[in-house]
Amino acid sequence: MTIFHSLNNSASALTAGRLRMDVISSNMANVDTTRGQYVDGQWQPYKRKVVTTQASESQFTNLLNRAMNQSVGHGVKVTRIEEDDSPAKLVYQPEHPDANDQGYVAMPNVDPLKEMVDLISATRSYEANVTVFNASKGLLMKSLEIGK
Amino acid sequence: MKLFSGTINSLEQALKYSSTRQKTISHNIANVDTPNYKAKDVSFKTELNQSINANKTSALHIDFSGGRSSSVKVVNSIGNQYNHNGNNVDIDKEMSSLAENQIYFNAVADRISSKFNSLKTVVKGGK
Repeated sequence: MTIFHSLNNSASALTAGRLRMDVISSNMANVDTTRGQYVDGQWQPYKRKVVTTQASESQFTNLLNRAMNQSVGHGVKVTRIEEDDSPAKLVYQPEHPDANDQGYVAMPNVDPLKEMVDLISATRSYEANVTVFNASKGLLMKSLEIGK
Repeated sequence: MKLFSGTINSLEQALKYSSTRQKTISHNIANVDTPNYKAKDVSFKTELNQSINANKTSALHIDFSGGRSSSVKVVNSIGNQYNHNGNNVDIDKEMSSLAENQIYFNAVADRISSKFNSLKTVVKGGK
């Protein structure tokens, strides 16, 4: 446990929050991308990506501290960026170059509404973590003044 | 009569509690969107009066003084409502705890600071 522990906790959350926003912006940017991946000579539509996070406390010192009821955790870490495997939306557009024989085009499984809700959630938690960061900084500055 | 009474020790414990609490709150808020994360809390006041005394059969035996750090205990907070993703961080509660903890830390830091200042006055003989 260092004096910057709480700052590091908030910083890890800020990094994770920014990555979430990056992934959301990528999803929004590719909302109409029909050529996401080239598989077996055929174009597959872009697949929505989701960030999965996990509480970061796998280190040995932390496990030991947890056994002694002293562990406060090490913030959050991003485990992976996964693809959403829900089916692609089929839109009838016979004139589209990527249309199949029946005239349907496979569109990405990105729902702009869902992405906007996720974006607002990510923004709010980012703001909350900035507040915590400033609070921790204030406490550290205050403890430097002890004895003055 | 001791120069350093128990005050500084008590205040040190209070500062330790407050900084551990700050770390716990920052960890909870960092994991506000983490699935299956369970919020943590720090217990201090309840533990303070329950210090264990060593059962000494000889005067040479050493007291359990090393257990000072155990007065702060990190526990999983219970009795909260769970979100659909198994996370039970209550962001409103965490933010108010954060504000409360800031004021508490500032108050304790002020106290310990003025304690040192009054000691300084004593050492200088009131000059």
